[in-house]
Amino acid sequence: MTLIVFEDEQWRTLAVIAQARPVFELRCGGYTVRERAAAVTGMDALGMARAHLMGYYGPPDGLAAMYTGEPTVLVNGRCLSLSWLPKLLAEPVNTVYIADGDLIGARLTPALASAVLYYLRDQQATDARDELTRFARVVELCGSDAPARIVYPWDLINQSGEQIVRDLDLLRMRLPAYAVHDPSVVRHGQHIFVGPGARLDGPLVLDARDGPIFIEGGAHIEPFSFIQGPAYIGAGTLIASARIRGETSIGPVCRVGGEVEASIIQGYSNKHHDGFLGHSWLGEWVNIGAMTTNSDLKNNYGSVRVALEGIGQIDSGVIKLGCFLADHVKLGIGLHLNGGTVIGTASNIFGVHSAPKTVPPFTWGGEIFREYRIDRMISVARTVMGRRKRELLPTYETLLRAVFNLTRPSRGNMSELPAPMPKVFAL
Amino acid sequence: MPTFSRRLSRLSHLVVPITLSAIGGAALFFGIVSLLAIPITPLLWRDALLIIAGIAALGIGIWQFSGMAMLPIGESTSSPDGELVFGFGQANKPPQIVVLSGGAGMLVLASLGDHVARMTCIVPAQDPVEYYYRAAGLFNFQNVYYVTPVPAPLDVIATLDDGTVANVRHLAVNPQIAEHHITRLALRDLAGAATPLPRLVAEAIRDADAIILGPGGLFESLLPNMLIDSFRDAVSKSAARKLYICNLMTEPGRTTGFSVADHIREIKRYAGFAPDYVLVNVQRIDSDVHQLYAAAHQSPVYLSPDEYEETAVLPGDRDGQRRLVIEGSVVIEADLASSVIQYTATLDNPDQSRAVHVLRHDADKLTATVLELLRRT
Repeated sequence: MTLIVFEDEQWRTLAVIAQARPVFELRCGGYTVRERAAAVTGMDALGMARAHLMGYYGPPDGLAAMYTGEPTVLVNGRCLSLSWLPKLLAEPVNTVYIADGDLIGARLTPALASAVLYYLRDQQATDARDELTRFARVVELCGSDAPARIVYPWDLINQSGEQIVRDLDLLRMRLPAYAVHDPSVVRHGQHIFVGPGARLDGPLVLDARDGPIFIEGGAHIEPFSFIQGPAYIGAGTLIASARIRGETSIGPVCRVGGEVEASIIQGYSNKHHDGFLGHSWLGEWVNIGAMTTNSDLKNNYGSVRVALEGIGQIDSGVIKLGCFLADHVKLGIGLHLNGGTVIGTASNIFGVHSAPKTVPPFTWGGEIFREYRIDRMISVARTVMGRRKRELLPTYETLLRAVFNLTRPSRGNMSELPAPMPKVFAL
Repeated sequence: MPTFSRRLSRLSHLVVPITLSAIGGAALFFGIVSLLAIPITPLLWRDALLIIAGIAALGIGIWQFSGMAMLPIGESTSSPDGELVFGFGQANKPPQIVVLSGGAGMLVLASLGDHVARMTCIVPAQDPVEYYYRAAGLFNFQNVYYVTPVPAPLDVIATLDDGTVANVRHLAVNPQIAEHHITRLALRDLAGAATPLPRLVAEAIRDADAIILGPGGLFESLLPNMLIDSFRDAVSKSAARKLYICNLMTEPGRTTGFSVADHIREIKRYAGFAPDYVLVNVQRIDSDVHQLYAAAHQSPVYLSPDEYEETAVLPGDRDGQRRLVIEGSVVIEADLASSVIQYTATLDNPDQSRAVHVLRHDADKLTATVLELLRRT
């Protein structure tokens, strides 16, 4: 069986946080959609995304890797809940699942897959769906059978807590229940799972009364931390005496301090110091300076509006919503972020009290904003990734350069950051 | 009047050079007349005639100047490379290609993908498409998309001239039937002929600038898809140029004894059209290689001497030359093949391989020839 997770037309509404990563690589709960599909099926999931992402996130062999001679299983990369996937695997070949007009998944012969992968390669899932309905058996997923799907970035936040609960069955197969008797670790509730190698330095509180808590192996919880479920702490992550409130997912190798509530941190990001992060989403390689804080509730208790690139301002319909910081965003110390703030990939904001609510990708500055030179950005990214023992691969560099070029129109006539002056040595 | 003044206003930067030229020309003329002391009488009539003629000539000249495009050329206007571009045109759009072939033939032509806007390879109805992707993955072909015309492979049955009936996929490995040829091709399940065409295939055929048949086995790779009604209709209705790359050698048990005309006739029989162009290999092969093939009941597919007489001057031919037309197709001979060394072993004795010279379509030669043909037609 070949398992393929694909992006559909809705990537555009998620683009502000997914310029440098496929939609199916957005974390929600214990997994990204690709990781969850792999965990459900027990096999590697291949990704099919926008062209500029395929070099890094796609299979090295291209489309050739997607044809094994066995049935091809397609999974929509926006589906958070994959409870339907085992049922699809048991269906006769050439069966397609559709919910509310969305192509959810399909199990196909390689021949029929060849007739639709061309469309999916260009994220034309509607065309693929129409074609499959001509040749395949159609199963409509209605009502509660229709899987939860993300459409806007804030759907990740809204679904975060519920998704951690939905991941319980998958995660408990991998992580053992916490059974160590340590009086300095105060536990409430039953569903606390801690992977081997995780280090819990009391005194600390694990409160799983409102939902399960998962702590992956290699994570380190420092003294005076408070973790409230549902929560997921990724492998190698340091919780630095932080208050982690419910509905929070933190990916691998993060440094998290201060107060975090109902937020998602994709992975490899730092919010090491005090400051509040609530109902927010952080990409990879994000760094937030000390005392930087975001608002997640308007004083008039109205719903938060968010500006989406190429779409305009959208009323999220959500009262509590924080900020969205895409991959490689760096924020200085003491910044204040309004609810609904969107800061694009690799932007670097510092030296101001209040950050703008919408910042395009690759922007540098505080009072005056300039375009962040791509060579300089890549140099910094290489240093940052090297500190976490991760190599900036040529394919990833190509991806970042492609994102820089693709997002250039969003920066308009913004001038380039001046090149650093050559050093002058006094003799 | 506004049009008149707008047109003349274009000459604003020509006022100085034209005025100086006119004064210079008049001074020169009167100087020469005075120098030669040419008597032109009567004086009044002479002056009036000169003035009228001068004004008329100047007016016509200025009017003609104003209808011309003029570029001031100086150091400030020259381009960095020292060239002045007087015009430009858009280059021809790279063509969209559909290839109907199978097996190794499709891989030979895959390098064409680097030169076209889109290359869709439609694999034979009986072949698993994943084999093509795996093979293409080894060579890292770009811009080539493989697709089948049916949602599930169909079995294709061949009837030979001795009455043998066999699956077309198994004919190549049966030496018992090497001296025979196929007389009839059909789907095992006749209902398969009514299979609707995937949209991707239909659109690729509809939008193609050229449909290339081959290189590949006539009955194994090219004709099986023509047994599907919707596919055959789509190809015959397509406005694309249809180009058939004829086999280098006959295939034992399938096209034994076939000439170029026989190949075209079979295409007409199953596809309902004659290809616009047929590419035939012109390169002659060595006698020892010839004997090797003959032992396997294979012979080169060349034009017969009498077929060279079938010439015609075709309407719309850019070169205005007479063409060789066989069975309604323009046949073009070209160097398309190379002799390569192939190591073979038998199942009885797999450890002992031997090197033999074989003739194969040359990917570079084929690609260059096809591109040149598409450019010229």
